[in-house]
Amino acid sequence: MDDQVCPRCKTTKYRNPSLKLLVNVCGHSLCENCVELLFIKGSGNCPQCNIPLRKTNFRLQLFEDSAVEKDIDIRKRILKDFNKKEEDFSSLDEYNNYLEEVETIIYNLCNNIDVLETNKKIEQYKKENKEFILKNKIKLSKEEAELEELLEEEKEIKLMKQKELKQLEQDEKMKKIQQKEALIDELMFSDTNAKNIIDTFKQSALSDSTKTAESSKAAAAKITKFSSGVKVFQKNQQSFLPVPKVEEGPLYSYKPLEVFYNGPTPPSWADLQRLGYLNNVTEASLEEHASGYTIDLFCMKALQEAFSGLFYVPNKKTE
Amino acid sequence: MFPTSTQRKSWMFSDEKDLTRLREAANRKFIAQHRKNMTDEECAQYFLSAPEESTLIKRYEYHMREFCRRFVPPMPRTVAGTAFHYLKRFYVKNSVMDYHPKEILVTCVYLACKVEEFNVSIEQFVSNIKGDTSKASNIILNNELLLMQQLNYNLTIHNPFRPVEGFIIDLKTRSNLHNPDNLRTGIDEALDQLFLTDACLLYAPSQLALAATLHSARKNKENLDSYVTETLLGPNAEKELSDLIEIVRKIRSLLVKQLETPSNQQIKIIEKKLEACRNQENNPESEIYKRKMQDLLDDEEEFQAKKYAKLLKEQARKETKIIGINRIISPSA
Repeated sequence: MDDQVCPRCKTTKYRNPSLKLLVNVCGHSLCENCVELLFIKGSGNCPQCNIPLRKTNFRLQLFEDSAVEKDIDIRKRILKDFNKKEEDFSSLDEYNNYLEEVETIIYNLCNNIDVLETNKKIEQYKKENKEFILKNKIKLSKEEAELEELLEEEKEIKLMKQKELKQLEQDEKMKKIQQKEALIDELMFSDTNAKNIIDTFKQSALSDSTKTAESSKAAAAKITKFSSGVKVFQKNQQSFLPVPKVEEGPLYSYKPLEVFYNGPTPPSWADLQRLGYLNNVTEASLEEHASGYTIDLFCMKALQEAFSGLFYVPNKKTE
Repeated sequence: MFPTSTQRKSWMFSDEKDLTRLREAANRKFIAQHRKNMTDEECAQYFLSAPEESTLIKRYEYHMREFCRRFVPPMPRTVAGTAFHYLKRFYVKNSVMDYHPKEILVTCVYLACKVEEFNVSIEQFVSNIKGDTSKASNIILNNELLLMQQLNYNLTIHNPFRPVEGFIIDLKTRSNLHNPDNLRTGIDEALDQLFLTDACLLYAPSQLALAATLHSARKNKENLDSYVTETLLGPNAEKELSDLIEIVRKIRSLLVKQLETPSNQQIKIIEKKLEACRNQENNPESEIYKRKMQDLLDDEEEFQAKKYAKLLKEQARKETKIIGINRIISPSA
């Protein structure tokens, strides 16, 4: 399509990339803008051959050669009437003659040879075969309808299959999740060895998956043929391999700090207040309180340091 | 807490004899390293003996106390206490002849300031020292790491000052003593004196505090015996009580004993001897020391150069291995 040119305004595809060439029955092309301009009223004459045209009959030019477009147009029109089929003739020769005649008519019309004569011929044929044409038309439409029905049926079957597959996948997923949850629950709450639990679950899952595979094969043999269906089945087997192998250490348990005083036991926090220790310590100032300091911290530390190590005996020291 | 500290584990010694033994060992070790071909008699003449070393250290402990008292800004007593601990620990395992006490002294105080969170910059610190301040700061900073290493990085010190506070609070609460705060001056004096002895290497800080408190009470004509035996230790502690009484008695004997202050003349003789026999490698005034420092610097440079040469060689070797031919060395190389 290197050089699409509108014959009237000379616009090229290069200058206007959105250029659209349209053709009418006469086979002469015009760009969209020219059509809009010339056929404002809905009808007008072709600027090249002066044939009266209707705007509605303009359509996109599919082929580069506009003559081909014209041919197609005419052929469509002619074949509407000349719609006989092979079965309608007693012999092949007769049918061939008939086809020959049709081709001649089309050729003449395309190349403007004896247009008047051929048109007369067509009119005559129409008159003679009026009923036949109608009958064939109905027949044709019936055939078309049947064909369409067939297509429709195929579509429906496809949809059904897809739905089935989806359902199957979902079921599989649900099952997996349930099994996982059950396993975790079991691990959390039972006292038996974690390894044993994992093993038993693994085995049950394996047998489950093979069962489902068999049943699905029986239900719809076609489904396993789909690669996706097969994959689902394989995935099932693998997903249980990397399940919790994490070995958890013993849980942290809090043990209260045991202080080795090596001396008399200092008073407890409660004793500080009860025995009146705090009355003998200078009150902390407001600024000191701001940083979280309280007098009992100091008091306790002093007492602990005073008491710890009182029983220390130099000679007992372990070298 | 003291009972689980490194102070208890590594820096408490069984008695004075133990300490003397260790100090003599340090003295002998130094002499053995530096005597060369001297006879024993010459050695005795030339080097300091262990008792002489102790006398010198005693003198420097006085210096340290004065230094800490005059320090500007005034430092908390824990800093001085910690510094005393460091100085004593250092010379248990090192000879005076190896490292001069006047240098170690200031380093100990400087490190103690840091450890006890008494914030002083080095400029501020050396302004308290007479003489060349830049030289002093050099000495301190050079010796600081050495000191820490010799202390085996056991820098936390349990001083007897907080236990004293604890005892005073406890006395106020649990004894019928009239005014425990009256004891404070006596306690401070006692502790000051104890720091000039080896007590802090032998007894727990709380024991020192208790002994000082009892000493001060005795001076004030108060009797705390019932407090100690009944209130403080409580019942069922006869064994501990007898041990404690024995220890307190020992500590107080240190206090009662008049500390012999070495005469100035004696010290002068020792110092003169020390100037001659000290390890010149650690004397910042000596040529050897300066050369050593320079060598250290050079070594570093040399080390870098060697490293670079080694890397080059390694690379060449790898290249020949990969390519299979020797590297073509440029004519300039």
